[in-house]
Amino acid sequence: MKKEDMVKLISAEGFEFVIDKDAAMVSQTIYNMLTSPGSFAETQHGEVTFPEISTTILEKICKYFYWHLQFASGKETEFPIEPELTLELMMAANYLHT
Amino acid sequence: MGGACSRKSDQRDNEEILHRGVSRKYCKSGSSKWLATSFSRPAIDIQLGRGNCPPLMDLCIRKICEDIDRYNTFSKIPRDISQQIFNELVYSQRLTDVSLKAFRDCAIQDLYLGEYPGVNDSWMDVISSQGPSLLSVDLSGSEVTDTGLLHLKDCTNLLALNFDYCDQISDRGLELISGLSNLTSLSFRRNNAITAKGMSAFANLVNLVKLDLERCPEIHGGLINLKGLSKLESLNLKCCNCITNDDMKPLSGLTNLKALQISCSKVTDVGITFLKGLHKLSLLNLEGCPVTAACFDSLSALAALLYLNLNRCNLTDDGCENFSRFRNLKVLNLGFNEITDACLVHLKGLTNLESLNLDSCRIGDERLVNLTGLRHLKCLELSDTEVGSSGLRHLSGLANLESLNLSFTAVDDGGLRKLSGLSSLKSLNLDVRQISDVGLAALTSLTGLTHLDLFGARITDVGTNHLRNFKNLRSLEICGGGLTDTGVKNIKNLSYLRLLNLSQNSNLTDKTLELISGLTELVSLNVSNSRITSAGLRHLKTLKNMKSLTLEGCKVTASDIKRLQSTDLPNLAFWMPQLK
Repeated sequence: MKKEDMVKLISAEGFEFVIDKDAAMVSQTIYNMLTSPGSFAETQHGEVTFPEISTTILEKICKYFYWHLQFASGKETEFPIEPELTLELMMAANYLHT
Repeated sequence: MGGACSRKSDQRDNEEILHRGVSRKYCKSGSSKWLATSFSRPAIDIQLGRGNCPPLMDLCIRKICEDIDRYNTFSKIPRDISQQIFNELVYSQRLTDVSLKAFRDCAIQDLYLGEYPGVNDSWMDVISSQGPSLLSVDLSGSEVTDTGLLHLKDCTNLLALNFDYCDQISDRGLELISGLSNLTSLSFRRNNAITAKGMSAFANLVNLVKLDLERCPEIHGGLINLKGLSKLESLNLKCCNCITNDDMKPLSGLTNLKALQISCSKVTDVGITFLKGLHKLSLLNLEGCPVTAACFDSLSALAALLYLNLNRCNLTDDGCENFSRFRNLKVLNLGFNEITDACLVHLKGLTNLESLNLDSCRIGDERLVNLTGLRHLKCLELSDTEVGSSGLRHLSGLANLESLNLSFTAVDDGGLRKLSGLSSLKSLNLDVRQISDVGLAALTSLTGLTHLDLFGARITDVGTNHLRNFKNLRSLEICGGGLTDTGVKNIKNLSYLRLLNLSQNSNLTDKTLELISGLTELVSLNVSNSRITSAGLRHLKTLKNMKSLTLEGCKVTASDIKRLQSTDLPNLAFWMPQLK
């Protein structure tokens, strides 16, 4: 896998999630960061920090990205959401336009 | 989704005009009319799948609604998100007086609770806690009383209020909301308690754009309070039979009025003279008013008029030459008047007409020639007229025609080929006894048809072969008595059908139900007066969208259908025979 095909998402606690760019760009917000010419430092380094999103939630978000890709390719399973995470996950989804 | 703003009031308004009734998701009324107009969210579109991947936001909102008991308050989350949770709870009918409490002080903007079960004064405290954020509230069909309205006093930014069918609201309630001077839209349909006295509250609502008092029988004398409402654009007084000429006078200065509905009132030609100055009026509904052609003098001054409803006004040919003055009209309804052929020549110049209703007028074949130039016509009603086959040649050039009603006319098989070139036709009503298989054969080129009514036509199994050309049909009615199960084989592949009426075909058996068991889009089915038995009901288990099932005069009991509903057809809301 080439480095430019990957992107690093960093949680509030500093945890790093290295995932496929295609997956990350399921988020409209990340898509905009990575594609708008010149304006974001993120575009150059392929790194995005989310000081407001905890590690647990960011991990769940990453799982959603991959679930989304699977779903789009026809594998329509259910995406499990733990009740205790729902509210926080929703706030992150709102921020990420996901 | 996500951060999108939740201001949708305008959208909703437009929608209501375009597809009336569609927004009434939780209709309480026992009428089956809603089946035709409002298909509330079908069970399938809530399920995942169907191609589109649900956004995480949607998944979370649904999850919250499922576990709503876990949440005590949403007041800490952004209001556009709590708005979405609220909407989904209402949509999924999970909102209760208990779960409502979590929405206290959420600064929500829109609370659409129209026809929602259980809404009463005890909900008003949380509703009003949205304070100045609250912009629109729909409480139609609720138990809310005057006392409940007291709570809204401090929601001073309210723009829209809907209290349709709230029969416990009276003049006193109007007084309580008279301070909400930012209101632009207010609706109190079917209220028996509002009188002229209470309507003095309207005088303060100087920003009103839309006022709806349909079916309020005690409002005579109250319109005087609208005199200063110069921003008013839409006034609905349909079916207020107390309204007289005197009530028209205060409207004469409301020059921003665009839509005025006074159908079934006592307004005569004298009352219409007060409308002369309403230069922006584009819609005028005078259905069932005792007016005559003498009012056309006043009406022809209304240059912006596009929609004129004169249905059931007892108009005669006297003065009908004045029709030619309405050159801008797009929609003209002249149904159920005493007018004859002599009028048609005066419609010749109304070349902007898109819809013309001549239902039950004394119109024959010859003078239909005057309609040949109405090239924009999309909808033509000739039901119950004397029109026969020779008149249809005058319609064959109306290339934009989408809807044609020829029911109860003298049209026969020989004339139908004149319609074969009307390739825009979507809806065709041929509920005519003398139409047979031969006539249907002449129509096979009309492949765009979505609605075909052959209710009384003599269609047999042979004729049903032609139905295979109408693959887009959404509704089909064949009730002439000539069908057997063999003919139904040609219907079973019309996979878009939502409404199917095969009643009165007394030879149909349970085999028919087996044949149509693949028509999973069906919402309404009628096979009354046939040989259907309760043993055949099992074939209907696949029809999960079914809302209405009519099997009168069959060997089927109400409890048989009730059982089917409880085990397999949860959406079934109306059926015949009914439980005694």
